[in-house]
Amino acid sequence: MSLEPIAFAALAVVLIGSALAVVLTKNLFHSVLWLALTLTGTAGIFLTLDAEFIAAVQLLLYAGGVITIAVFAIVVTERLVGDRITQTSRQLWNGGIIAGAVLVGVLSFVLRAPQGPPRPPLAEDLTRAIGEAVLTRFVLPFELLALLFFAGLLGAIYFARPDD
Amino acid sequence: MPASVSLQAYLVLAAVLFAIGLFGVVTRRTTIGILLGIELMLNSVNINLVAFARYHGDVAGLVFTVFTISITVAEVALGLALVILIFRVRRTAIADHLDLLRG
Amino acid sequence: MTDSGSLALVALLLPAAAFLVLALAYPLRRSGRAAGWVSIACAAGALLAALRAWSLQTPEGMTRLAYEWIPQEAGSLASVGVLADADSIVMLVLVALISFLVQVYSLGYLDTEPRPALGRYYTYQSLFAFSMMGLVLAPGFLQLFIFWELVGLCSYLLIGYWYDRPEAARAAVKAFWITKAGDVGLLIGIVLLWLRTGTFDYLEIYDLVRAGDLPLAGLGAVTFCLYLGAMGKSAQFPLHVWLPDAMEGPTPVSALIHAATMVTAGVYLLRRTIWLFALTPDVLLIIGWVGAFTALLAAVLACVQSDIKRVLAYSTVSQLGYMMAAMGAGFAAAGFLHLLTHGIFKALLFLGAGAVIHAVGSNDVYHMGGLRRTMPQTAVVFLVGTLSLAGIPLFGGFFSKEEILGAVWSGGLALPFWMLVAAAFLTAFYMFRVVFLAFWGDPYRRPPGIGPHGAAAHEAHPHDPPPVMGLPLWLLAILSVAIGIFFVRYHPEPEFTAPGWLTPLAVAVAVGGIALAWLTYQARVVSADVLARVFAPIRRAALARFWLDDLFEGLYRGALLGFSAVVGWIDRYLVDGIVNLFSAWTLTWGDRLRRIQSGLPQDYVYGLAVGLLLLLIWVQWPR
Repeated sequence: MSLEPIAFAALAVVLIGSALAVVLTKNLFHSVLWLALTLTGTAGIFLTLDAEFIAAVQLLLYAGGVITIAVFAIVVTERLVGDRITQTSRQLWNGGIIAGAVLVGVLSFVLRAPQGPPRPPLAEDLTRAIGEAVLTRFVLPFELLALLFFAGLLGAIYFARPDD
Repeated sequence: MPASVSLQAYLVLAAVLFAIGLFGVVTRRTTIGILLGIELMLNSVNINLVAFARYHGDVAGLVFTVFTISITVAEVALGLALVILIFRVRRTAIADHLDLLRG
Repeated sequence: MTDSGSLALVALLLPAAAFLVLALAYPLRRSGRAAGWVSIACAAGALLAALRAWSLQTPEGMTRLAYEWIPQEAGSLASVGVLADADSIVMLVLVALISFLVQVYSLGYLDTEPRPALGRYYTYQSLFAFSMMGLVLAPGFLQLFIFWELVGLCSYLLIGYWYDRPEAARAAVKAFWITKAGDVGLLIGIVLLWLRTGTFDYLEIYDLVRAGDLPLAGLGAVTFCLYLGAMGKSAQFPLHVWLPDAMEGPTPVSALIHAATMVTAGVYLLRRTIWLFALTPDVLLIIGWVGAFTALLAAVLACVQSDIKRVLAYSTVSQLGYMMAAMGAGFAAAGFLHLLTHGIFKALLFLGAGAVIHAVGSNDVYHMGGLRRTMPQTAVVFLVGTLSLAGIPLFGGFFSKEEILGAVWSGGLALPFWMLVAAAFLTAFYMFRVVFLAFWGDPYRRPPGIGPHGAAAHEAHPHDPPPVMGLPLWLLAILSVAIGIFFVRYHPEPEFTAPGWLTPLAVAVAVGGIALAWLTYQARVVSADVLARVFAPIRRAALARFWLDDLFEGLYRGALLGFSAVVGWIDRYLVDGIVNLFSAWTLTWGDRLRRIQSGLPQDYVYGLAVGLLLLLIWVQWPR
């Protein structure tokens, strides 16, 4: 009885449950908290896949940064006179059908593929491999990413300017 | 219980999360709610990438995961900034009210 | 200029030149009398050319000057030009003479007209002279038709000269419509003839007929169609209704167009093509009967008119019926002779009536009286014209009328003959009724008021017209008498033998008519009221013009306007309806499709998801 399938099953349950909670709760703030749980669960999935660096990045940026920003946004857009924004969702049945149909469509691909080989043993330190790949094979996207961040930074400064 | 988790299990998990995210995008009434749904979808994509990278031994999947996470964070930040700005102007956060592009 | 053809061409082109000059140089036209002098000068030149051509023309000679107009592979499709032979030259002289005299007369008659209007009048007169001469000299059916229509146009323009009078405008349109109905027949006939013979030219068709190469099957329809055109222009029953109304135009116009020239175009056409009609005796029979009936009908209608011009108009219709009857009997020369003599004395009568109207200020015969004392010259010339029309020997109309009676009798048309005799009696009667009422008796005491055309009554007491009007009158009167005496002395060989009792019968009938008129209106032995009561039903019908006008109007309203209503409905609901239907569909579907653009990104995500699904299905579709 290896740990892996049990860990995977447990994490899967947590993930799906919290994801459903994200999209189905009425309270927006609760929704964000459930999202935090989902993102943390994803970090766990990454750990079962031996991608420690990615898990760390996930926790730092997603579970840390994105949630913080989302909370800030909710606080700012919420009217401070005390009534929380009650979120009701619209057209639940339509959405459910469409989402279900997309799921079925994708699964029909995935499940038809032949059973792949089992997980190969870990060849190298993945973190090191990522670092080397980024700076050699994928240096161009890396630089473009920097450019993207620069644009984002400019945008942020523009948005944050005082009105005059 | 199988001896090890197959690649397909991860893919199925990612597909389910993607569908839930899509459901969230389509049904939520507030802009922030929609952005949360998008988060879920992007998250599921990351799971897919890492799983493929692990099972095929190619580090490219991991590199791209780094990239997508970075870009997602930037997008979320700016998206929420826009939501705040729109809220300042239009005093509403309900997506149905932002229909100026109506034909 | 030594041959009649070139002279005829000159005569044709002079009025055309006058028309062009007056039409283009509008300062000249606006100046009124100067325009008149230009037109009269060209008319005089045309008359001189025509007279010279006449002197050069031999009875059998023929000159043809033609210009290829529409070229074709073998020869030309149509040619225009001049065909000068005995008939056309003498007709040319008539047209030129009456044109010239009428234009001179108009200087006096229309002296109160404003200058631009007078210029317009003379422009139309020149155009008419050109058109009529072109018709007369036409070498073929195509040119005939072109000028036929032009003549109709000029008639419309001149009848409606005082276009601000609604009656005149209506009369002009009516004339145009009724003659147009005939013209359609003429056009169909010409085209059918062309289909059979391949040519429009008179001479070529004549050669075909002489050689016996013209197929006779169905030719009756062709000649009948040609006759329809003549029926319209020459006011045969039932297309005669426009002529009395056409009296709304100025009297010189009536003298020219509706006495001597335009209305004779139909008779002239028949004279020109009698050899073609001779192949279809059935159509000739119809022509004869219709002509005689028209003569009698119009004579009856003339007896109840109180407007002097209307009397003369119906008289013209009646005399045209005479001419057509002779044509129908097969003796075209008799009819043509009457055309020429009638042209002279009817123009005389109209111009004389014009002098009376101009002096008295009214058309109504009952507003006149005792004019022989105040207008002696006019009385004399009018009497000369009346005696000619009644057919008294030594005057112009006697011989030609007798010829017609003889022709109809020899042609074997018995009942038409008696109709014509009755018409002769009535002709004498109604014309002398006018003479006695207007020129004899006591002068009419008019209450002071406005004369016709809004102009004040010309004089308190009428008098003879000035020389510019008087000289044409005297010239025509002398011509009438001269023609009468000429035919007494130089009796040409008739084409038929008339019975011996014909001449006395004709004279007796004419004298009888005069006697009845004298008894009724002068000596007052026979009471006009008794006569009216005796013939009451006919009189009532005649006053209602035998309801023909109402019939035409009903046809127009019913058929034409009804048809227009149907067409209008189809246009509004079917044609427009289809277009509107398409546009409505477009709008509706546009509105419905518009809802796709809701402006909400979530809806667009739906679209994306559906597209993705479709893609997945398509990729996986089992092949």
